[in-house]
Amino acid sequence: MDLDILIPLATLATIGRIFALIALSIITGWLLAYASIKSRRFENAYIPLTNVLESIPVIGFLPLVLVAFVLAIPGAIGVEAAVDFLVFDAVAWNVWIGVYQAFKTVPEHLLEVSENYNFGFLRRMRYLFIPHSIPRITSNIFSSFADAFFYISVSEVFTAGAVTANVCKGGVCSTFGIGTVITRFVVEGNYTGVFYSLVSIAVAVIIVTLSLSWLSRWAVAKYGVDTPGVIKRHAGRWRGRIAYPWHKWRAHQTFRGQPFPFSRYASRIRPHWHNHHIQSDRFNQAKIAKYACIVLVAAILAYLAYSSVKLIISVPIATWYGFLYQTPQLLEYVGADYIRVSVITLASLGLAIFAGYFLATHHRIGDVILPAIQAFAAFPAPTYFPLLFIATIPFLERLLPFFYTEVYIFLLGFLSCFYYVFFDFWIGVQAIPSEFLDVVRNHEIPFWARMRRVILPASLPYLITGLSSTINSAWAGMAIGEFWPDIAPKVSPNGLQAPFGMMYYITSNMAKGAIGPAAYVSLLFAVVVAIYGIFFTRNLMDLARRKYVVEEGIFAA
Amino acid sequence: MTTNAVINALPGQHGQAELACEDLGFAYGTKFIFKNVNLAVFNDELVAIIGPTGTGKSTLLRTLAYLIPPTTGHVLLDGKQVTRPSSTISLIHQSIATFPWMTALDNVKLALICKRTPHDEAVQISKKMLELVGLKADENDYPKEMSGGMRQRVAIARALAASPAVLLMDEPFVHLDELTADGLRKEIYSLVFNPETSLKSAILVSHNLREVVQLADRVYVMNGSPASIVDEIKIDLPRPRTERDSRFLDYIDQLYDELSLKTARV
Repeated sequence: MDLDILIPLATLATIGRIFALIALSIITGWLLAYASIKSRRFENAYIPLTNVLESIPVIGFLPLVLVAFVLAIPGAIGVEAAVDFLVFDAVAWNVWIGVYQAFKTVPEHLLEVSENYNFGFLRRMRYLFIPHSIPRITSNIFSSFADAFFYISVSEVFTAGAVTANVCKGGVCSTFGIGTVITRFVVEGNYTGVFYSLVSIAVAVIIVTLSLSWLSRWAVAKYGVDTPGVIKRHAGRWRGRIAYPWHKWRAHQTFRGQPFPFSRYASRIRPHWHNHHIQSDRFNQAKIAKYACIVLVAAILAYLAYSSVKLIISVPIATWYGFLYQTPQLLEYVGADYIRVSVITLASLGLAIFAGYFLATHHRIGDVILPAIQAFAAFPAPTYFPLLFIATIPFLERLLPFFYTEVYIFLLGFLSCFYYVFFDFWIGVQAIPSEFLDVVRNHEIPFWARMRRVILPASLPYLITGLSSTINSAWAGMAIGEFWPDIAPKVSPNGLQAPFGMMYYITSNMAKGAIGPAAYVSLLFAVVVAIYGIFFTRNLMDLARRKYVVEEGIFAA
Repeated sequence: MTTNAVINALPGQHGQAELACEDLGFAYGTKFIFKNVNLAVFNDELVAIIGPTGTGKSTLLRTLAYLIPPTTGHVLLDGKQVTRPSSTISLIHQSIATFPWMTALDNVKLALICKRTPHDEAVQISKKMLELVGLKADENDYPKEMSGGMRQRVAIARALAASPAVLLMDEPFVHLDELTADGLRKEIYSLVFNPETSLKSAILVSHNLREVVQLADRVYVMNGSPASIVDEIKIDLPRPRTERDSRFLDYIDQLYDELSLKTARV
């Protein structure tokens, strides 16, 4: 097929797939969030599980995906299902958490109105919860889009040695999309094709970024509960202050002193039915919807659980003993990758604090630079990284013969994740009440004292959320960077391969078709992430909510 | 009316205004909120600004503090043009801004950071200010553990700890119950004329006409769109002022009429 037709079509196919799965994640997010606020038990399971699943990079799901879809469902349908699952994994968690936070922070007086008028499930969703979640969703769509796009080169085309040799042509499973097209061009050494593909992606990213920015501004203006300043219409454009109001509601809802998210909030939603015959219609409606959701979610979970069990029992017991024996060494690999993640996170944090603060306090410059950063962040690094590699490997290999691999891993990891903490911190600074900034300027508090005493504490909840997303996303870049043997076969036969590391272990074993070791390390990683999430992230977030909720510093009756 | 004209028009006022503005205006984009505002406050004087809601009184105060730069005109502090915010002109916000992660003492100490005051001295000054506003026993409490009145007093203590020459107050008592507000009004009045503080003058924005008559030496009436100073009334009552004085009620009526008339004309 002619490149003029192939490349735009492939780009449209990828974007269509991403947005279809974003739509699916929004709909499922609504249902799951509603279930969370209705049932504390569900909430207590849902949130930690989402946090853990969010942390595992897409590539960590590859073993499960292979067993559940590629091997179980024959032909192109199985491959497409696998690809869709991987893309869904990249987009869903961000949207789910955002919707959940929006549902949790619906203003009390609006809830009371819905109870006053005996709203059932559908009306509540239609008139209250869904509109309330729109600003949050539109702001999170960008991150989801960027995440999904980052992964297109590993989600649209993958291989697992002997496992996929029998089910996919040439052992490589792929579906139609720009990720597949670029991978093919790189392998063929067709750099003209790569270049035009990148141009096509750049155009698509810019259009999507600008559209999402407009959509986000419109959503805030229309659905924001407390829009700061005056929203003016000038020649059809909505204009307002950049401090989007949804983060005024974030992460600080408490009920009877119980810290969110283990809030007793769910128990407050008890509709008071006054009229029996109206009541029974609505009651049935709610019951049907509730049971339908339970059945659907249970079916999906059951299928995934079945696939997981199938994967586990396919591995002989002796092999399991071998894995257990290797656990200490594997944990060392996990530790090595955590050191890499820490370096990447610190660099991202440094950039976020200085650049983010500057752009948040210099609005005119921010209005220009921020969309450019957004567009750059959305542009998938794995698509242009081979070109960067080709351009720099000759002198970097000479300059840092033993260290150049780490530089590339750092770069890829940084590019995959810096945006989250940067953007969240920027939002956090925007959300600082103007009165606080007035006090800081009125008393001429110098820069470092200002950052230490006011800016960083005031933006701490946002910083923690941003850091959490940054750390989770850093794994993605490292998963690609630690094992990329065919990054530029004609220039570097060995490609990019880390000497050691958890992600190297997973991806190199997957490439050989050794699903067992890869799955075992993924499981170890999931356990470490869960422990880290519970003892570190959760406690830090609780501390932020207890002491650093900046909105509570403004007393306005 | 220019600042010089203001000074000359006031019998008994001599010398330079402590804080004054000349042809001050502020606009969002091309829409002026207020324009051609001329006012002055002198030593040992408390001036009030009244006007209907939405005329831009709070914005005027923030402009006088140079927290937002004016679009037109300029602000003069002791005859010199103000070009940036400074703790010499201290603002107390309508919505009380206390940092929730700092104790009352730390909140007050914040005002001393820019002055590079040694730590022990900063603690001493902060404790003194908290004692002045009646919060000596609460210095280690967090704002969450305090009532609105207490938080407002922390904000006042912080503003005073910076040793300002001029205090700008934006409806400082609007959230408080009448008893607490009355107590605080008396405290603030005594602070303005207290030789222990560096405070020389104050500007108060308020909707409460009783409060205005109780505290202010002069009242500027602000109205219009864009807003400007439409009238100035001198409150010639001996201190301490009491509502039992018939002239007190007369002044309230006068201010009320001013607001009604000006609103009707506008």
